[in-house]
Amino acid sequence: MAAERRASVTWNGDLMSGSGTIDEVGSGAFGQLDVSWPARSEEASGGKTSPEELIAAAHASCFSMALSGGLAKAGNPPEQLRTSAAVTFVPGTGITKIALTVRGRVPGLDAGGFREAAEAAKKGCPVSQALAGVPEITLDADLDA
Amino acid sequence: MPRIQREASVAWEGSLSRGAGVAKAGTGAFELPIDLPSRIADKPGRTSPEELLAAAHAGCYSTSLAGEIARAGGTVERLNVACTVTLDEVGDKGHLIVSSELDVRARAEGIDAAGLERAVQAADEGCTFSALIRASASVSVRAELESN
Repeated sequence: MAAERRASVTWNGDLMSGSGTIDEVGSGAFGQLDVSWPARSEEASGGKTSPEELIAAAHASCFSMALSGGLAKAGNPPEQLRTSAAVTFVPGTGITKIALTVRGRVPGLDAGGFREAAEAAKKGCPVSQALAGVPEITLDADLDA
Repeated sequence: MPRIQREASVAWEGSLSRGAGVAKAGTGAFELPIDLPSRIADKPGRTSPEELLAAAHAGCYSTSLAGEIARAGGTVERLNVACTVTLDEVGDKGHLIVSSELDVRARAEGIDAAGLERAVQAADEGCTFSALIRASASVSVRAELESN
């Protein structure tokens, strides 16, 4: 079954001095998030989100779900996974790197098994596949100490 | 050009089908609950990776189009960009993102329908996310110039 997800943005004015708002998303989970070019292309975003931050959130959540599913299928359901995705954006070039970091609490699994499952999730999750054109996607996976 | 890094993190508890997570933006702009039922069924109030991608694509494309209209000598008054991302099960490949469709309504001065059409194409070529996702899924843009 196909699942469609929808979001809409309103932009006012030109690129450099104008700004936009993510007005609404189909689920209603969030809305009225401000976006602007300075928030996107400068170090300090002033609390505004950007397409790259939304992609980071999409990738971290897709990866977490795929890893949770993969671990459970192999008989080791996780208690907790903490994932971060850092997206590097070079204005004029595009997204050059995504760094995934995951720490997990998984009863009965050793670090090697966890890394293997994490590699499989990185490869298989739909967002990873959609972002396969990113030049570098790294993964740092380990169990909680 | 500076390298800009944007980070988001997810804390997930429990299994895929019954567990749930929270996605937090590094900038603090959002903190959103996520779970599997929201992703594959219609469950209001919870977001999903695909909805976040739809928001990213709409945001990326609108900044790109604002730049292209100005480059063509037009003045943007308002752009409305809606994006629909579709996740589907594809044969033995499992779930894949198969398409992202953009629907644009533009209100701008100093540009005609043909000029807008060119700006729309250039914006698609210039939007990082369009280029990335086109490698594995279809991207379409439908645009309409609203009269003042």
